[in-house]
Amino acid sequence: MTVKLLTELKAGEKGRIVKIGGKGGIHQRLLDMGLVSGSEVEMERVAPLGDPIEIRVKGYNLSLRKEEAASIQVEVA
Amino acid sequence: MSREEILQTKDKIITHLRGILGDDAETIIAERRYGFISGLLKDVLKKPPIERLTLSDNIDKVVVNRWLGIPLFLALMYGVFQFVFTLSGPFMGWIDQFFGWLGGYASGVSPDWLGSLLADGIIGGLGSVLIFIPPIFLLFIAIAVLEDCGYMARGAFVMDRLMHKIGLHGRSFIPMILGFGCNIPGIMACRTIENPKDRLTTILINPFMSCGARLPIFVLLAAAFFTANQGLVVFSMYIIGIIVAIIMALVLRKSILRGPSGHFVMELPPYRLPTIIGVLVHMWERGRLFLIKAGTIIFGVVVVVWLLSSLPWGVEYASAESWIGQIGSFIAPIFAPAGFGQWQAAVSLLFGFLAKEVVVGTMGAIFAVEEGILGGAIAAQLGWTPLVAFAFMVFCLLYVPCVAAIGVIRGETNSWKWAGFAALYTTVVAWIAATLIFQVGRLFVS
Repeated sequence: MTVKLLTELKAGEKGRIVKIGGKGGIHQRLLDMGLVSGSEVEMERVAPLGDPIEIRVKGYNLSLRKEEAASIQVEVA
Repeated sequence: MSREEILQTKDKIITHLRGILGDDAETIIAERRYGFISGLLKDVLKKPPIERLTLSDNIDKVVVNRWLGIPLFLALMYGVFQFVFTLSGPFMGWIDQFFGWLGGYASGVSPDWLGSLLADGIIGGLGSVLIFIPPIFLLFIAIAVLEDCGYMARGAFVMDRLMHKIGLHGRSFIPMILGFGCNIPGIMACRTIENPKDRLTTILINPFMSCGARLPIFVLLAAAFFTANQGLVVFSMYIIGIIVAIIMALVLRKSILRGPSGHFVMELPPYRLPTIIGVLVHMWERGRLFLIKAGTIIFGVVVVVWLLSSLPWGVEYASAESWIGQIGSFIAPIFAPAGFGQWQAAVSLLFGFLAKEVVVGTMGAIFAVEEGILGGAIAAQLGWTPLVAFAFMVFCLLYVPCVAAIGVIRGETNSWKWAGFAALYTTVVAWIAATLIFQVGRLFVS
């Protein structure tokens, strides 16, 4: 088990969230969208210009900027 | 319990929770909520959850593909643009013709002042509002289709990097593209932007996107003053508009609209087939508001301009002796540093507030010549050089958008303050740009 930042996952790589950082509104927003510790996430793709990224969580697809994703730590098998 | 006591109790509980669980309250609540949900699902969900919505995934492999994503986005935007403005063209022509015919008929009414009020004021004013119905309703159809099928979120996903760089949001791109057709649908398309400051900035820079109504001015002056490079000069207007829009977005986001940009944590929903009813309901909900809000404001301004052009009693409509002509003569010196400080230019710019293409028509009326030879008449009678013409074109590109656009900004921001600000700051920017071009240009060309 290694802990990585969500932004470090490669397309198709899966991980389990261990910690959500971020402050105030953005932290709350990430939690509201189902990014809580224990959630499985899968990196889907990076946007054509290199930012934002698209992940799969709780059965749906979610996009977020790298600066937002960098506050999320995941553990990878 | 008093308000103070409640707040104290709240803080006590938060500290207590942090002490035993080692995390802040909002995280704990969210985790427990999702824990409860997944526990419940284990009990009640018989069928295993569908692992993949494969069709959506496959579409996305192409639509937000690393290489195809941006070309496809631009092609789709071009498609929307063509759909809206090609299809609305004939309808706008018919509405224009109809009101022209109605105005011609009404101008025969006696006494003369009543005929003029009906023809130039009321019918002209109604026409200037109603002519925007075809592009607006078609635009709302296009936006509704893009939203309902799920593409809108992908478009924002693809463009966000670029727009974020200039302090905006991925969703700001579509309004800017639409502004090239007409600023009104462009400004109205800003409704899809959630963050208030992102949205306001996108609204305020939209008028710099050169709309279709400015094209007649550019074409006429480019043909008269830049015979060899007409296309290039007209094209340069669009580029100048984009550059000014980017600069002003950065300036606004760093000054009066400073603050964090809206986040981009957003669902990319599965693709769905839009329903006709859904699209039409969306179109009507949004389009109806334009008619009510802009209609009343625009109509009022048009009547005021009619009054200014007709008073004092007995003057020829919009002549130098009319009040608007006198105002034009009065403000003309303001434009002297930009090279076009003649009253004829000032009056045509005042009328351009009604609709930008009216600048050309007003010049035509003042010089009493057909549009075909108007460019030559301007060069001969005002003594303009190509440099002055270029500065004038830049001013027309950037200065206050038409009254309909201001009405829509008032409606969309629900604030006269922002509508007034939009009118004022664009004009100041236009004056600075035109003056700069004329003064710097003068050093290089005589």
